[in-house]
Amino acid sequence: MNRTPRIAPVAITAYECVSAAGDNLNALHTALLANRSCVKPLQLFELPFETVVGEVISPLPAVRPHLQHYACRNARLALHALAQGNIRAATERALARYGAGRVGVVLGTSTSGIYETEIAYKQLLRDGAMPGDFSFLHTHTAQASAEFLWHELELRGPCYSISTACSSSAKALGAAQRLLDADVCDAVLVAGVDSLCRLTLFGFNSLQLVSPEPCRPMDSGRQGINIGEAAALLLLERPASDNAACPRLLAVGEASDAHHMSAPHPEGQGAADAMNRALQLAGRRPEQVDYINLHATASQLNDLSEANAVHRVFRHPPRCAGVKGLLGHTLGAAGAVEVTISLLALEKGFLPGNCGFQHADPQCALPIVADPDLNSPPRLILSNAFGFGGNNASVLLEAA
Amino acid sequence: MERMSLLGFGACTPDAEFRARLPFPASGINRDAIPAMLRRRSSQATQIAFSAATLACAQAGCSPASLPAVFASVAGEIQTTDQLCVELCKADAMLSPAAFHNSVQNTVAGYWSIAQQCTQAATALAAGYDTFAMALLEAWCQLACHGGELLLVCYDERWPDYLAPGQGQTPFACALVLAAERLPDALLQIGRPFFDASASSASATLININPILTAMPLLTQAAAGNQSSQTRLLIGTGWQVEVYDR
Repeated sequence: MNRTPRIAPVAITAYECVSAAGDNLNALHTALLANRSCVKPLQLFELPFETVVGEVISPLPAVRPHLQHYACRNARLALHALAQGNIRAATERALARYGAGRVGVVLGTSTSGIYETEIAYKQLLRDGAMPGDFSFLHTHTAQASAEFLWHELELRGPCYSISTACSSSAKALGAAQRLLDADVCDAVLVAGVDSLCRLTLFGFNSLQLVSPEPCRPMDSGRQGINIGEAAALLLLERPASDNAACPRLLAVGEASDAHHMSAPHPEGQGAADAMNRALQLAGRRPEQVDYINLHATASQLNDLSEANAVHRVFRHPPRCAGVKGLLGHTLGAAGAVEVTISLLALEKGFLPGNCGFQHADPQCALPIVADPDLNSPPRLILSNAFGFGGNNASVLLEAA
Repeated sequence: MERMSLLGFGACTPDAEFRARLPFPASGINRDAIPAMLRRRSSQATQIAFSAATLACAQAGCSPASLPAVFASVAGEIQTTDQLCVELCKADAMLSPAAFHNSVQNTVAGYWSIAQQCTQAATALAAGYDTFAMALLEAWCQLACHGGELLLVCYDERWPDYLAPGQGQTPFACALVLAAERLPDALLQIGRPFFDASASSASATLININPILTAMPLLTQAAAGNQSSQTRLLIGTGWQVEVYDR
């Protein structure tokens, strides 16, 4: 029997996002409508080169004493997001309803608590020993902030992190959907959390990918990326009558470029495979997609590769835009952050704009939405996230 | 899906003394498993993961190019990350671009997909002491949802000794080729991993040597073959799995 693989849609019953645009969904919505860049010079530490970043400026809450060993900027960003809107209440309601063993957490991150490790190394090199309170497995390693959320919320279901560079939290959504589809869980909290640190800023600078000014994705004058930080949380449950008004995650398509560690496939083959796979898993056709939230980092090669990929999938590409001119590139959190933006677009009925876009790049030739369009409510949105190692994920979302 | 099938497995550790004491076959680093372009510059993580994965694919008779892959590691590219953290302490810190892109957790996944020309999905996950258990669960979910076969590779290279004193001192990798459903030629059939809060944790000795050694009971059973009709194995901190003879 030749069966086309499909996956059942899941309901997104709550979501929240903390970013450079502010502390919650209302702030994010306002910033999206204003379409003014939120990136600014870095405050957290000094940099020997010029750039602007998407930094979370508001004070972050303290981790409670009994979980102090998990305390790091990444965990505190996650905790800050957990305090917004109804995400914590919705997760606790799921716990009460399904039992702690049936609620899991999957987190996508690239940095985890490495910012604290960098500080600890200064002491290591000075004194020959790490600080007494340094806890490698509770802060540095990729699962640390997932484990923190698991303890903070007293979950007992599966707990892990996906760390595939900039596709991390888009793939976490895919893993969570499978946990529901395979009947391992009844609810999964998905988190995308990444925090500013020296490693990523110096690293992307060494690759000559960092822009000195607010980045301009898909623009002919683009000259590199801005790094950002953020925490986005989403609660996934199976569709039911009491969540019929919630937007749906239809599918996450995943594929590899098999091309290069830090450069995308020039023709965007892997990215096209991921978009096609998402459509195939959901049983939808390209012409049904109303809007693409592009990965669009504003790097020369990435944007060109993604434009080629979109043209491979769509004979007539739908309108599209990227938001990294607004928030910077939040790396491992970008997938989840941009899904929350896509969900806002579905729920509020507008198309987000491509902040920083002035002059079309004839090589990209996509129908870019420069300013938010309030008169074209979308039903189906594809949101792209592509990472180092040619690791691609594309998330397909549908309005309720 | 009630069960998944184990079609092949491999294990690798460069520590010959430790290798000799393992209750299942394991190899040293197999240089032929590592493409020429990576041989000199690849991390220990890449070398042991590639060695184990190549063994597993060969035993299963599967072409790596066709298999989606799940890669799992507690600390990922920790030796490269360590070098970058030392460099970042200098006043005029200059990171090597290659060292930076080789410091991501999915470095092994990326190089594997490039070396094998595999365009299937590849993921990289981490779950502390439950890394092997959660990787096996992720594999279960992928097979239950999408069917087919996949490659699971779990590895940790040697950690710098000041990061988690006493832990992660012996590099170890293991790889499993798994298929959806019960296949007649399987080495073992494996049930869905489950959590039992009352169960004891995997051996602290094994976890301290290398948390990926929580795979040891399953690898031992795979090597032993038909012993009993059904066995419950501990594969993490309360995570367990049932295995069945074919």
